[in-house]
Amino acid sequence: MRRVTMAGIRGHWLRFLLTSLSVLLGVAFVAGTLVLTDSLDRTFTGIFSQANKGTDVYVSGAEGATAIDGTNLRSGLPLTLEAELERLPDVRRAAPELAGSAILVGKDGTAVRNGGAPTLSFSWLDDDPVLEVVDGRAPRGPGEIAVEEGTLQKAGLTVGDRTRVVVGPRVMDVKIVASVRFGALAGTTLVLFDEPTSVNLFAPDGTTAAFQVQGNPGVSQEALVGQVQQVLPPTAEAITGEAKTEKDTATMRQALGFINTFLLVFAGISLVVGGFIIVNTFSMLIAQRTRELALLRAIGAGAGQVVRMVLAEAVAIGLVGGLVGLGAGVGLAAALQAALTSFGLEVSGGLPVSARTVIVSLLLGLVVTVVAAAVPAIRASRIAPIAAMRDDVAMPEKGLRRRALWATALLLLGLAAVAPALRLEGTGSNASQVAVVLLLFAAFAVGAPALARPVIAVVGAPFAALSRSVGRMARGNALRNPRRTAATASALMIGLALVSAVSVLSASATESTKSLVNQLVRADLVLEGGFTGMSDGITDAVRRVGGVKSVAGLRAVPLDVDGAPQLAVGSDAAALADAVDVQMRSGTLDVLDDGKVLVSESLAKDEDLDVGSTLSGVVGSLPDAKLTVGGVFADNPAIGSSMVIPAKLAEQAVPAPQRADMLAYVVLDPGADAAKVRAAVVDAVKPYVVVSVQDRDEFINAQSDQIEQLLMTIYVLLALSVVIAVLGIVNTLALSVFERTREIGLLRAVGLSRSQLRRMITLESVYTALFGAVLGAVLGLGIGVFMQHVLVDEGLTDLVVPTGSLVTVLVLSAIVGIVAAVLPAVRATRLNILKAISVD
Amino acid sequence: MARARDLVKIYGEGDAQVNALAGVSAEFRRGELTAIMGPSGSGKSTFMHCMAALDTPTSGSVEIDGVEIAGLKDKALTRLRRDRIGFVFQSFNLVPTLTAEENITLPLDIAGAKLDKDWYERIIDTVGLRARLRHKPSELSGGQQQRVACARALVSRPAIVFADEPTGNLDSQASAEILSFLRRSVDEFGQTIVMVTHEPSAAAHADRVLFLADGRIVGELLEPTAATVLEQMAAHDPAQRVS
Ligand SMILES: Nc1ncnc2c1ncn2[C@@H]1O[C@H](COP(=O)(O)OP(=O)(O)OP(=O)(O)O)[C@@H](O)[C@H]1O
Ligand SMILES: [Mg+2]
Repeated sequence: MRRVTMAGIRGHWLRFLLTSLSVLLGVAFVAGTLVLTDSLDRTFTGIFSQANKGTDVYVSGAEGATAIDGTNLRSGLPLTLEAELERLPDVRRAAPELAGSAILVGKDGTAVRNGGAPTLSFSWLDDDPVLEVVDGRAPRGPGEIAVEEGTLQKAGLTVGDRTRVVVGPRVMDVKIVASVRFGALAGTTLVLFDEPTSVNLFAPDGTTAAFQVQGNPGVSQEALVGQVQQVLPPTAEAITGEAKTEKDTATMRQALGFINTFLLVFAGISLVVGGFIIVNTFSMLIAQRTRELALLRAIGAGAGQVVRMVLAEAVAIGLVGGLVGLGAGVGLAAALQAALTSFGLEVSGGLPVSARTVIVSLLLGLVVTVVAAAVPAIRASRIAPIAAMRDDVAMPEKGLRRRALWATALLLLGLAAVAPALRLEGTGSNASQVAVVLLLFAAFAVGAPALARPVIAVVGAPFAALSRSVGRMARGNALRNPRRTAATASALMIGLALVSAVSVLSASATESTKSLVNQLVRADLVLEGGFTGMSDGITDAVRRVGGVKSVAGLRAVPLDVDGAPQLAVGSDAAALADAVDVQMRSGTLDVLDDGKVLVSESLAKDEDLDVGSTLSGVVGSLPDAKLTVGGVFADNPAIGSSMVIPAKLAEQAVPAPQRADMLAYVVLDPGADAAKVRAAVVDAVKPYVVVSVQDRDEFINAQSDQIEQLLMTIYVLLALSVVIAVLGIVNTLALSVFERTREIGLLRAVGLSRSQLRRMITLESVYTALFGAVLGAVLGLGIGVFMQHVLVDEGLTDLVVPTGSLVTVLVLSAIVGIVAAVLPAVRATRLNILKAISVD
Repeated sequence: MARARDLVKIYGEGDAQVNALAGVSAEFRRGELTAIMGPSGSGKSTFMHCMAALDTPTSGSVEIDGVEIAGLKDKALTRLRRDRIGFVFQSFNLVPTLTAEENITLPLDIAGAKLDKDWYERIIDTVGLRARLRHKPSELSGGQQQRVACARALVSRPAIVFADEPTGNLDSQASAEILSFLRRSVDEFGQTIVMVTHEPSAAAHADRVLFLADGRIVGELLEPTAATVLEQMAAHDPAQRVS
C-alpha cells in the first residue's frame, strides 16, 4: 500500500505541491505569530532586565489605575525617603525614579521619535549600572543633557551640539554633553538630565512614584526587601529587582497581546480556507481514482486499507505544508517586525524558532490536513469493487435538495436571531453576535452547491452571449459537479465575505464619524499632541492667543471603577459646552464644576446609572475615589469616552509628569479672523514640535484617515486568504483539466482551436470565481449590515454600502479567475490530441 | 477529394523503431465509401489520423479537398478539421455536458457558423434521433451515441469523413444501423467516407476495400461482398504470407 501511495504522490507532484501550499499559508501565519511573540518577548525581557540592572529592590507607591500605555499610575512617595533608605545597613544606594516624557528636537527642527514609541527621559546617575558612557561627561544643570547613542544618531546630532528639548510645557535650550549606551530600546528615545533638573521637571511636588535600591554585595534581594520594608510608609510596597523585570515584561506582553490575537484570527481564516481546498482536492483525487481504488478493493484490499492509503497522502501533504509553512512563518515574522519598526516598535529579539513553534506548526499542518482528508477517505472506502468494471465512473451526485433545505433552515435560524437585533438596536451579547455571523457562514457554505446553478446561470449569461458554444460548455463544466465548484468557490467566498463586511463597516464608520463630528464639534480648531499628548502649558499658551475664546482639553484619566469605562475624560464645563454640542438627557453640564461626573446615555442604561448614583474605585493614582453622577449626556464620539470627570479631579488623579490632554478643542471669538488666529495658534504651539493644529474639515478627514489606515492592514491580511482561494481554483481546474483529458482531445479533434480551448477553461474559472465572489459579497453585505445595526450605539450610526468597493471586488474576482486559469489552460492547450483521446 | 502520397510514419528510434506507415499512397473520390482493413497493428488508425490532420506523417503528403496539409500551422489545421473533415472514433465521441443536439451542432458552434436547418433536419431524420435530441450522452445507448457522432461528423458538410472502427463496440443490430446510415449519406448526399473495420460484413457495405499490412497497401477490392472480402483477408493474412 505504501508503494501505491508514493506512486500517487509522485504521479501528481504539482497537485501535491498546490495542496501543500494551502496548508502552508495557514501554518505560516501561526508560526509567524509564534516567532514574533517569542521575539517580542526576548526584546522586552532584554530591555527590562537592562533597565532594572543594579536594582535589587524596587520601591513604589500604592498602585493606581492602569494607564493606556500599560503602566500603572502610582501615588507619590516623598523624595526624602531616599535618605531613609540609604541609612539602612545593607543599602548601597537608593535613587528616586525621576522619569517622564521629553521630546528631543533633531537637527532638522522636528521631533525625534519613532511612531508611537515612548520619548523617555530620566535622571543621570554617576556610575549608573544601566548605562555606559560612550562619550562626554555628566550633564550639569537645566542647560545640559546626555542622549542615548541611537537617539542621537536619529536626531542627526553629536556631542557638543545645541538643540531644544520639550518637557511638558517647557521648551529648554540645551547642549548635548554626553552620549550613552543603553542596549536595545525598541524604538524609545532617551534623554538624561542631571538629578536636580529631573526633580524640577518630574517631581516638582517633592514626590516620586518609585525608588530603585541597590544593595551591598553579598546581600540577597529577598533579604534586602525585608530590610527596606521596615522604613516604608504603609501605602508603599517593595519587590525584588527580578520580580520587577518579570512584572514589566508581563505588562508589555499583555499590552502587545492584541497583535497576536489579530494574527491568530487570520491564521484561523487561512486554515479554514485551506481546509476547504484540501477536502476538495482529496475528493477529486479520489473521484479520479475510483476505478483504481475499486480495483484494489476487488483484489482484496480492505476498506481500512483504502482509508489508510488516502490518509497517508494527507500526512505527507500535512508534513510538507507544516515544514515549509514554518519556514514561511519565519519570513512572515521578519516582515511583521519590519512593519512594527515602521510603527516605531523596534524589535531586537531576532527570529527565535522555539521547540514549541516547531511542534505547533507541524502538528497543525498535520491535523488540519488529516481531518480535512478524512471525509473523502471514508467516502473512498465505500466505493464498491464493482465500480472497477464500470466504464463511466462518476461519484453519485445527490442530496442537493437536502442541502438547500439545510441551508434555508440555517439561514432562517440566523435571520431569527438577527431580527430582534434589528429592531432593538444594540441588544445581544458579543457571543450571540458571533454565533449569528457563524450561522450565516454555515448557511452559505452548506447551501452553496444548491446555489451554483442559478448563480452561475446569471453571472455566466453575459459571457455565454459573447461566445455561444464556448460559453455554454464552460458553464456546463462549472456545473458538472456543483459540490466541487461550490467547495472551490467557498474559499473565495470566505475571503470576500470578510472583505465586503469590513468594507461595509469601514464605509459606515467613516461616514458615521464624519457626520457625527460635523454635527457635534463646534470648535474652530482642534489641537492634537500625538502619542504623548499636550501638557497644560501648551493649552495655556493657546488660551493666551488673541482671538481665542476658549480651549477645552480632553484629558485621559485611567479608571479602575466597577461600572465605569477604563478611561474617563477630564474637562472643564464651560469650555466643553463651547466646543462640543453636548445634549444633556438629564442634569446639566455645570455639575462638573461641583465635582460631579457625567455619564453617557448608553453607559447609564447598561450600568443602571442615573443622576445621584455613586461609583467608587481607583481614579488615576487616587486609590479610593468616590464619583457622583450629576448628569447624563447623549452618546457623543466627540468626547471620546462615556464618562466625563471634572478637570480638577483629573488634575489630582494624574501625577504632573503624566498630565496631558490627548486632544484640545479651540473656539474662536465671534468675528475673529479665522486664518489670522489659526496662524497665531500655529506659532504658539510651534516650539512644542509635536502639536498639530487642524481646522474642522482637516480634523474630520484625519478621523476617517485613521480608520482607513487600520483597514489597509486588514485588507493586506485578507488578501492572503484570497491568495489561498486562488490556489484552490488553480488546483481544482488543474484537476478537472486532467480529468477531462479525453474530452479536450475530442474537442480539439472536432475543431476547437487552442484559443477557444483557453477561453473555455478561463471562463470556467471566471464562473467559479464570480460564483464565490457573489456569494461572498452577499454574505459580507449581510454581515456588515447586521454588525452596523448592532454597533449603532458604539457610534456606527450611518449605514453605507460601498457599491464602488463591492463592484471592484467582483471585477477583481473575475480577474482572479482569469489568473487562476492561466496554468491549467496552458496545460490543456499543450495536450497532444491523439494521446489525449487514447487516455483512459 | 482526398489523396495520400508516399505516407511514412515512424514511431520511436533505433531498436524501438516502428514503421507504422511504410509508404502509403491512396486516393479517395467524391461520393465513395471506402473501407480499410488489415490485421491489428497494420497501421490503419495511424493512416486515418494522418489523413484527418490529427497527426503529422514523418514524410509524404496529404491533400484534403485540394489543400496540401503538410506545413500547415496548428491554427490552419484546426480550421481544416473543423470545416472540411468529419471524424468518428471507436468510442467516447461526445462531450458529456452537452445534449445530443448540442453535440451534433458542436463543429458549427465552434466555428460560429450558421446552421443549415434543412440539412440538419435531413441528418436527424436519417440517423433517426429526433426523440433523443435533448438527452445527455450518458442517457443514450452506445449505438445511439455513435449515431450522434456520425451526425456530428456530417453536420458541417465536410469534404470527407473518417471513421475509425465506428461499429467496433456495438452489437450487430446497432452496427447495421450505423453502416446503413453511412451508406445512405454516400448515396443520398454524395458524402465521401473512409472507414476502418475488422468485419467483412461491414466492409461489404463499401464501394471499395483497401487492405493494409505492415504499413503498406497490399490489396484493393472493388464492389466487395462479405465472401470476397474474407477471401482477400485470407490472402493477406500475415501468418500465411510468412510461410
Ligand atoms: N504513439 C505510438 N508510439 C509508438 N508506436 C505506435 C504509436 N502508435 C501506434 N504505434 C505502432 O504503430 C503500429 C500501427 O498502429 P495502429 O494503431 O495504426 O494500428 P491499427 O492498424 O490501427 O491496429 P488496430 O487494428 O489494433 O487498431 C503498431 O505497431 C503500433 O504499435
Ligand atoms: Mg486502430
